[in-house]
Amino acid sequence: MGESMRNARKQLKIVLLSVAAVLVIALVVVIGAGYFGFIEQQSSHDAERHLKEVYLQVNRSFRSFLDRNWGLLESCDDYFTLAGGETESKETLEKQFIEDKKEYWGFTDFYFLKPDKTYYSVKDGLGETPLKNAPQTLIDDKKPVMTQEKIGGKDLTMFAIAAEGEYDGFAYSAIGISYTNTDVANALNANAFEDENGKGTAECYIIRPDGSVLCSTEMGGGAMKNYLTYLENLVDKKTIDKIREDLTDMVSPDTANEGDYGFAISGGKDGETHCFIYMPVGYEDYSLLSDVPQTAVSQGFLLAQRATMRVFLIISSIIAVAVIGFFIYRIFVQMRQSKTELQYRERMFDVLSSSVNDIFLMLDPVKEKVDYISPNIERLIGIKVKTARENIRAMAACAVDRNIIVPNSELKEIPLGESRSWECQYMHQATGERRWYLVTIYRTEIGGVEKYIVVMSDRTLDKELNRRLQEALDAAKSANEAKSNFLSNMSHDIRTPMNAIVGFSALLERNAADAELVREYTRKIMASSHHLLSLINDVLDMSKIESGKTSLHVERFSLPDLLEEINIIIMPQAKAKGQEFTIKTQGNPPEELMGDRLRVNQILINLLSNAVKYTPEGGKIAFTVGQQDSSDQFVTLRFKVKDNGIGMSEEFVQEIFQPFSREKNSVVNKIQGTGLGMAITKNLVDLMGGVINVESAPGMGSTFTVDLTFARAEDDAEDKWFTKRITRMLVADDEEEICLNVREMMRGTGIDVSYVTDGAAAVDAAAKAHAHNSDFHVILLDWKMPGLDGVETARRIRERVGKEVPILVLTSYDWSEIEEEARAAGIDAFMPKPFFSSTFFQTIKPLFCGPSEEEKAPPAEGSMEGKLFLVAEDNELNSEILTEMLAIEGAKCEVAPNGKAALELFERSESGYYDMILMDVQMPVMNGYEATRAIRASAHPDAQTIPIVAMTANTFAEDVKSALDAGMNAHLAKPIDMDAVRKTVAQFLDKTEKGEDL
Amino acid sequence: MKKLCLPLAATLVALSLCAGCVVQDDPAALKVMGKKTDLEKPYMTEIFDHYRETTGNALELIEVEDASFETEALRRMGTDKAPDILLHFHNADLMRFDVEENFVFLNDEEWVSDLTESARAYCTDADGNLLGLPFWESSVSGCYYNKTLLEEKGLGAVATQEDFDGLCDTLLKLGVTPILWAGDGCSWMPQFGLDPIFADDADLLESLNRNEVGYADIPAVADMVGWISSAAQKGWFGTDYRKTGWDGISPALASGSAAMTFIWDTWFYTDFTAGKYTMDDFELMPIFMNTAKEGTYEGGNLNMMMVNAHSERREEALEFLRFCATPENYNVAFRDISTVSVFQGQTTNIQSQMVTDAMESIRRLERVSTASTKILGYSAEDTVDALSRLMQGRLGTKECVEELDRARRERAKNAGAEGF
Repeated sequence: MGESMRNARKQLKIVLLSVAAVLVIALVVVIGAGYFGFIEQQSSHDAERHLKEVYLQVNRSFRSFLDRNWGLLESCDDYFTLAGGETESKETLEKQFIEDKKEYWGFTDFYFLKPDKTYYSVKDGLGETPLKNAPQTLIDDKKPVMTQEKIGGKDLTMFAIAAEGEYDGFAYSAIGISYTNTDVANALNANAFEDENGKGTAECYIIRPDGSVLCSTEMGGGAMKNYLTYLENLVDKKTIDKIREDLTDMVSPDTANEGDYGFAISGGKDGETHCFIYMPVGYEDYSLLSDVPQTAVSQGFLLAQRATMRVFLIISSIIAVAVIGFFIYRIFVQMRQSKTELQYRERMFDVLSSSVNDIFLMLDPVKEKVDYISPNIERLIGIKVKTARENIRAMAACAVDRNIIVPNSELKEIPLGESRSWECQYMHQATGERRWYLVTIYRTEIGGVEKYIVVMSDRTLDKELNRRLQEALDAAKSANEAKSNFLSNMSHDIRTPMNAIVGFSALLERNAADAELVREYTRKIMASSHHLLSLINDVLDMSKIESGKTSLHVERFSLPDLLEEINIIIMPQAKAKGQEFTIKTQGNPPEELMGDRLRVNQILINLLSNAVKYTPEGGKIAFTVGQQDSSDQFVTLRFKVKDNGIGMSEEFVQEIFQPFSREKNSVVNKIQGTGLGMAITKNLVDLMGGVINVESAPGMGSTFTVDLTFARAEDDAEDKWFTKRITRMLVADDEEEICLNVREMMRGTGIDVSYVTDGAAAVDAAAKAHAHNSDFHVILLDWKMPGLDGVETARRIRERVGKEVPILVLTSYDWSEIEEEARAAGIDAFMPKPFFSSTFFQTIKPLFCGPSEEEKAPPAEGSMEGKLFLVAEDNELNSEILTEMLAIEGAKCEVAPNGKAALELFERSESGYYDMILMDVQMPVMNGYEATRAIRASAHPDAQTIPIVAMTANTFAEDVKSALDAGMNAHLAKPIDMDAVRKTVAQFLDKTEKGEDL
Repeated sequence: MKKLCLPLAATLVALSLCAGCVVQDDPAALKVMGKKTDLEKPYMTEIFDHYRETTGNALELIEVEDASFETEALRRMGTDKAPDILLHFHNADLMRFDVEENFVFLNDEEWVSDLTESARAYCTDADGNLLGLPFWESSVSGCYYNKTLLEEKGLGAVATQEDFDGLCDTLLKLGVTPILWAGDGCSWMPQFGLDPIFADDADLLESLNRNEVGYADIPAVADMVGWISSAAQKGWFGTDYRKTGWDGISPALASGSAAMTFIWDTWFYTDFTAGKYTMDDFELMPIFMNTAKEGTYEGGNLNMMMVNAHSERREEALEFLRFCATPENYNVAFRDISTVSVFQGQTTNIQSQMVTDAMESIRRLERVSTASTKILGYSAEDTVDALSRLMQGRLGTKECVEELDRARRERAKNAGAEGF
């Protein structure tokens, strides 16, 4: 409001000042015009008066000139009349008289004229052509005349009078003399009007009313034929008409008056102001007319006028300059202020725009040029300001999708004052960085000129945030869906075994008397329980891995042992489904490695279990271990599990390692699983720094490849002295690859390996060697060979070579079923596939060296008969189960409901009263760890020696470590596995009994 | 082989001797020699045919290519190959022939009185001997002015240099370019000013050609040069005269932007295109270049039929000239030819009204074309070059006259003229 008021006041001030300036100028102009009009009028009067005085005198002089010439002619006529004597003498006298007069008067020639206008020239004789203008009045009226004639090509003024006589035989009736124009003009010259060079400025003419010229003072006046016509090209018609009318009136007998004269003044096209003065000559209709520049006539006036004008102009100019200067100063100050403000604003805007990522432009849509562009464009889009200014289309070139940019034609359709927006991504021309902008174009008008104001608001962060939020949302949705699915699956998978457990438990109760049914139901309940347990273990495992609490326990382990364990676990599963399961090695992988054997085992079991699970009955599963890369310290092994099962879709392969993912709903497939196995596997592989890959296609089976790097374990210094007695060995396997693998494995041991691919050949080979008294020192037979199997082959070899040569059977299968038959057939020992040299040496060592002391001793059974356990367990059911189980084993127990109670019982007991303490961990009052520390710290004599075994549902490695750290000796996981309990008890009780350190 | 080569060589020599000319070998025929283009003019072919038809006599035309004409004519004269009649202009080249020795003076021929004064003057040498019969188209060079335009300004023709200068001043004051001066390549104008100086004083011309005097010794030359300089400075030639060439003359005159120019009458038939003003608006007055108080006209350059004084058929040749100079014959030849009359009895030619109206003045003031034809070493190009520099202010009047002299002398010397 205040601003608009100020502007209105400012505009009013400017208007008032402008009006005042105009009034002042108008006043000055009016005063000046009045003054100069007055001066001009006075000057005109002065010129008229002056000219009149001068030219009345000139006119009298000219008239006198005429009279003198006519008088001269009369005197000549008188002389010719009076001259007598002889004709010749008369002519001589007349000629001399004429010459004298000519010399004195300055005329050009003397003429004798006839009425027929022929003439005789004293100078040239008889004229060639008659005169043209000599008026008849001369002859008829005997009046003197002045006329203009062209004689000998020259325009001459002739004066003539009537006179009769004869000259040189030429009878004449008139005589005349001629003057050139210059001669006549001399009579008209007025020396009053000369310029500064002394040159006459006045032109004087003797003219008729029609303008025809008799003579003039002008140089070359001969060219002037009609003065009034000439004047038409020089001054205005009004002046000419006035002169023409005056000339006519002045010589007309009706209107002529004594002392008539005319005066006119007019500006000429030649830039001069002409003053015309004219008056009748008094002879016929001739008038004298003079054209004099006003500057020559009114020199004094004009000088004064000029001086006044100069002063007036100077003063006016000073005032005008002062006024204009004042206005210019004001305008300059305002412009400077505006410019400064503009510069401030622009600078502020530049700084502002340089600190933000928004770009601002102002465009002129008509000229298609950039009026303003914020300098941050170079930083944000990589275009120089100058480039963008010169060609705004350069910006469009930076748009990632140019089709998004709205064309100019459409922009013109935006109503004035409104805007249009769109999002567009631009790429930095130098760095390639992409940014999202919300481009908004405002169509507006500034100072009556249409402009587009463009604001490019940076939306990159918003876009990124939105993207991340979307991803998070998607992930959350996915996770939610997966977990929902998982819960659904788990609900099903948990309820299924639970249903079995609950159902068979009910059946058990009803049929408790039927021992056979009880065993059947119990077995099924056990199976369901184990499944449920594995389910829980997986969930917990995954939970632990995801929470980052999983750590590796690197220790020395035997690859052959690992593979044997796997074989023991998987082979029965495969066998149950009628699948062919094979384990092979490739190359010569090291047998002793440093690694987390349990986790490796877990990985491989997971893969193989899945292979068994998702391979139909009768399918094939091949497990291969090969050496991928090695150095002195490290070796990378490739474990490959290949099946010809149902395979997976490409989409599922992408997600297979995601938690809770199963290709098809487990309900439909009727294949039990948590959907966590592969995720656990992948995480474990990652944890070990390995790589897992999968190739699969629906119906084409799957191949999982796991590359794991292990440190090589140092060679144990086991004495293999017995091998010195073995130099030759026969291998028989229908798979030649296995034979070759055995040979490869035995390279460097000093044992020469021969092989055959069937049983009969093996028999022959053994027989031949025997015949040559060079028996093989060991014979290794595959169990299942086409033709003669391993057992039959062994039997036949024994028949041919006797019992001396050790015969071993190499097999992937559980040989317990055929062990008795095999030993009867002469087989000394069994070896699991795949073949490893270490396994081989362990197997044959007893054959050459006899059994070791350990082997001779009966296996520890861990008998708990008569033992007393202190059980700390807060859960009554668990304590009851444990009590019953221990009772079954012939042991007794005392139960403490918490750690403190257990501590008190122990402290109150006598030395040796308890054989072992089984300690739960999570208990009220005092937990297991605190109780153990307290026991160990107590003064009880058995405080340091009594075995304390954790028996807890806390099964993680950390839990084990915590238990050991608290002073416990071992860790058993719930649910209670009596075999594990039995083994642990046997281990510690044996040591206790022997007085060894626990 | 040698026998074959000799006739061949002889033939080649004969051909080379006749190079550039066409010879009709007829012993009975009168031999007329001239430039090929000259002999092919319609009025020439007409008179030749008319002669043959009327008299039954034979004519042998020796047509020589223009470029080799002078050499060939000089080579033949005095030999038995010389023509009976030679067509030649009365110019400086003619001085290379021994005119007195080789040609018949025709002063006593009856037809001499029928020649116009200017034609007779053109064909007469310094001693008053008529060298040949002028049988050619002619023109009058003068100051052609726009009479209508001048009348519109209240002005008229003038008779003196003073009036002419006044006329120019007045025209300029009224916004009209007084004189159309074609300064770009049009080289004929200066010679009009020089004509009166030397045409009126044969001795002076002779002295000049003997290199006894130079332009610098002749005040009239400086008067002319000074006048040109002054006229240019005053603006009488307009502002673009240096760029105005041949093609610029007609538009300026026809539009009335210029009032006068120095040119010849037949130009109006060949090059003038009517505009606001037509040919009828123009009249002729003398040229004023401050060398003749009452002005001057320049007569046309005429080809003369000159009779070989050593010809065995000299009488027949004179008879042929008499045939040509007979009114009934030359009026046949010049029927409908645009030319100023060379014979007083010429009636069938087309003579412009401008010339007719000014005939009295022409008779009085016409000069033979002298400067360009009779001054040894005169070059129109040299003259224009020096005057251009003068008008540009690069030379003063005195320096310009000296430059004109230097160039003239150099050319005369190069041409082998005596005294240079």
